[in-house]
Amino acid sequence: MVHHPEVEVTPFSLPAGSMRLAPVIQVAGLQKRYGALTAVKGIDFTVQRGEIFGLIGPDGAGKTTTFQILAGVMEASAGSVQVLGRPPRQARLGIGYLTQQFSLYLDLSLNENIRYSAGLREVPLDRLMERRDRYLKLMNLDQFGDRLAGQLSGGMKQKLALCCALIAQPEILLLDEPTTGVDPVSRRDFWDVLAALANQGVTIVVATPYLDEAERCNRIALMYNGEIQQMGTLQDLRIGLGLHRLEVRTNDLATTEQVLLDAIPPLPHETPPPLVDVQSFGDRLDILVPDHATGEATVRQVLQQQHLHPSQIDYAEATLENVFVTRLRQQGADPPFIPLPRSLPRTSRSLAQPRGSNDLAIQTRQLYKTFGNFRAVKDVTLEVRYGEIYGLLGANGAGKTTTIKMLCGLLPASGGEISLAGRSQNLRNPDLRRQIGYMSQKFTLYDDLSVVQNLEFYCGVYRVPRAQRREKIDWVLTICGLTGQEDMLTGRLPGGWKQRVAFGASVMHEPEILFLDEPTSGVDPLARRQFWRLIEDFARRGTAILITTHYLEEAEHCNNMGFMVAGEVVAKGTPSAIKAAQPGKLIEMITNMPQVTSDLLKTVLDPWRVSIFGDRLHLVLDHPDSDIPCIQDLLQEYHKPDGTILELHSVRAIPFSLEDAFIGIVQRSEQTT
Amino acid sequence: MPKLLDHVLNSCFWALAVKEIRQILRNKQLLFLLVFPPTIQLLIYGFALAPDVEMLRLSVLDYANSQTSRELVSALTENRLFIVNGYTFSETDLTQQVRQGDVTAGLIIPPNFERRLNQEQTAEVQVLIDGVDANTAGIASGYLSQILSQFNRRLSPEATPPLVNPEATFFYNPGLISSWFFVPGVIGLVLTLISSLVSSSAVVREKDTGTLEQLLMTPAEDWEILLAKLVPLFLLLMGDVVLALGVSKLVFDVPFRGNMIIFFLVSALYICVGISIGILLATISKSQQQVVLTSFFINLPLIQTSGAIAPVESMPLFFRYAAVLNPLQHYVAIARGFLLKGVGVAELWQHVLALALFAVILMGISIKKFRSQLN
Repeated sequence: MVHHPEVEVTPFSLPAGSMRLAPVIQVAGLQKRYGALTAVKGIDFTVQRGEIFGLIGPDGAGKTTTFQILAGVMEASAGSVQVLGRPPRQARLGIGYLTQQFSLYLDLSLNENIRYSAGLREVPLDRLMERRDRYLKLMNLDQFGDRLAGQLSGGMKQKLALCCALIAQPEILLLDEPTTGVDPVSRRDFWDVLAALANQGVTIVVATPYLDEAERCNRIALMYNGEIQQMGTLQDLRIGLGLHRLEVRTNDLATTEQVLLDAIPPLPHETPPPLVDVQSFGDRLDILVPDHATGEATVRQVLQQQHLHPSQIDYAEATLENVFVTRLRQQGADPPFIPLPRSLPRTSRSLAQPRGSNDLAIQTRQLYKTFGNFRAVKDVTLEVRYGEIYGLLGANGAGKTTTIKMLCGLLPASGGEISLAGRSQNLRNPDLRRQIGYMSQKFTLYDDLSVVQNLEFYCGVYRVPRAQRREKIDWVLTICGLTGQEDMLTGRLPGGWKQRVAFGASVMHEPEILFLDEPTSGVDPLARRQFWRLIEDFARRGTAILITTHYLEEAEHCNNMGFMVAGEVVAKGTPSAIKAAQPGKLIEMITNMPQVTSDLLKTVLDPWRVSIFGDRLHLVLDHPDSDIPCIQDLLQEYHKPDGTILELHSVRAIPFSLEDAFIGIVQRSEQTT
Repeated sequence: MPKLLDHVLNSCFWALAVKEIRQILRNKQLLFLLVFPPTIQLLIYGFALAPDVEMLRLSVLDYANSQTSRELVSALTENRLFIVNGYTFSETDLTQQVRQGDVTAGLIIPPNFERRLNQEQTAEVQVLIDGVDANTAGIASGYLSQILSQFNRRLSPEATPPLVNPEATFFYNPGLISSWFFVPGVIGLVLTLISSLVSSSAVVREKDTGTLEQLLMTPAEDWEILLAKLVPLFLLLMGDVVLALGVSKLVFDVPFRGNMIIFFLVSALYICVGISIGILLATISKSQQQVVLTSFFINLPLIQTSGAIAPVESMPLFFRYAAVLNPLQHYVAIARGFLLKGVGVAELWQHVLALALFAVILMGISIKKFRSQLN
């Protein structure tokens, strides 16, 4: 195990001596075949007691199959799997398994759900009561015991499902994408719980499409095509990648991106070229370079030749997403980016042009919506210009979907003004709808039709001229990698693929205004990248885009965004502006006992200000200069009963991520209300 | 002409209709629902539902045990209206059998039966009838008195004939074949059930899967969405009318005496009523399951009070009048008229008018409901 270079860290605190024990999970040469298809092609890994082990990879990489074999639900075709020193089927009582679908009874209360799970696993009543109280408290669900599970938010449901899995006190938790579709605040809560459990000695194997939360694992395995491509701590993976990130800010992103892309030699590379990858975000470009200094020099030189001048270049570390994308690209797994074949002339509107009142595609003023006594949306005022990507962010139930439905005319507003494409009356007009593309949260392809029949239907109903239909349908099939499989029933497609087809279906008519409600939920990082390139292509051609997402790393692609909390927009601006407007600093802290440190810090700080990321802690401090010495004093006073003292290895300020900003904004505005 | 064709092929409606047809073709369950239940229901109701009561079990306690008493028993059983279940030798036995429901009727012939007849006196026999099933008991009692009065005449042919003797002629169904009465009713019943069920599930399915919202965001008008859903179903349901008429002709030999084309037009009207009921159900329900359960609540009373199975005349007065508000009752009357009587719109215009009113009003309400259900 490779640790952070400058310090010697024990990644997780354990009962003394347990390090010597055999690993809890031991997998060697695991294979699984379904008929002719080999889903898992011989993988090896071990997981130690109390470790959080992350499995990441694109759709169809073999993650779910691996989980099912580990859980003893399915037999391996070849290889050996030992869980708790036994074959998985015999170890099942020691395993808690949680899948993406909530395995809850929605018409039973929280307590009844827990009691049912406990009954299935024959937990004695007195233990059940004690554990239920403990876990519900840990998950912050203790005041909802009598509420029906169906009335909980997505995040709370997943926490309850985790409770049900924990009630038999399993030694191992297998979590297959437990947080898909769950908002960032709830996700962070969920991961805090996982960190606490791991500290108590529970071994956790988890898959997630959110790479920012995968960074909180102790070790990560990157799976692709049934094989483990790479495995190690986040730091190992970064070092293994050998690349660094440059953040380039400029006022002409589109041209700059194109110029830099042209400067990259085509794959495969013998030795890494000075520029490896360029990715555009809402107000910056991310460039992967083998070396910060030479990279910056190359960027400046290339741009100089085209008379472009970046306003700012910052150095940053590669993210897990960079690792993921770069590795998979080397495997040739990158879905192609092909712009939509167009029939309408490119609109002259563009963000680069000066602002005019005709540019506004979507405008609302003091929009509000009440359901009975409940104010779902309050006083929302927003403007989206043609060619702009506007991100509407917020926790589940913050009012994003309600706002979008009102804008689409699917829900009447209780008050306020809406103007859409210059119209403020009769938003249900068919001509207006012809200019709008809409992809709802739980899209909405017909599962009982084939892929191509679905596409033909959406072409027809949006009246795409017959002569162009073939070309557009082929385009969707190509970007989804489904050419040749177009007669497959849509219901058989994995979730991520369905989302891509659905996106294609909702843009074939070249809409001028596009509403995307969580389009990338459950889509793997590579496909998400392609998604965003397509979305950006639409924006550059003048389409106004309003999008919601729970992936804050990808919200960076938005030009502007609004954060909604409890129906209100509480913060607005570009991603950089929002991050810059955060009071205080984000501090990364490395200690020898992260969980103990976290527990200690939570006694003096608001719990949301402290989170564990693998072997380190992130703290949000409003007054770092005065707070840090206090914290250091607090930590120095602590020592374990056996005399071990808490060692503080490093404290440094790191830049805010959008997710940190999001959580800060949500928590602060909840405190004030 | 090619221009018009092009216009149609490029319309939203065409795309919607093609989609619906493809979904229907993929939906084996729906095709099954359209073919099997109507056939089975027709067969079961046609064969099993007969009001005739036959082969009633009779227990005999014959104290007389004479030739005439034996002739009386054989007179009772010769039409197979009664069959002798057994002879007993004590009244306790006999009452026990009636009480246990082993027999429907018990006949006690007294020891002096033969003697009294010989003395030209009235001989009395006692009949015990299980009255739990009032209908059967009434019929059994009717049979008994008819057979006994015939037996009387045979015993004394010179006795005074009755002063008024009715000579009934049965029109339209001279053989009084009960299936002829039931089959047109069941055609109505089947159309009600299938049309409301199929249309409601087609509409609610979009809601169930969340595709309705997406559909409402397309440029398609509300009426196009609804019409595209209903036209293919309408055609399939018309196929059901053909199927039902075929079964009634081939299996039960029910005549068709009226004008076929006009009957199809009226049936189309009735299918519209059934479909609107289905859409109404779908707009007030949240899931397929709810639709099916609610449709039972609506359809069963509709069928019971329509005269399709039990005659309207057997219901209390209030329900007889209330039946005017039951579209199925009108359709059943029309179906019987066309099939058995060979009459047409001229005679049945009140029923046709009622159906037309139902179709227009229910369609109107259901389309309005469909539009407003999102709010």
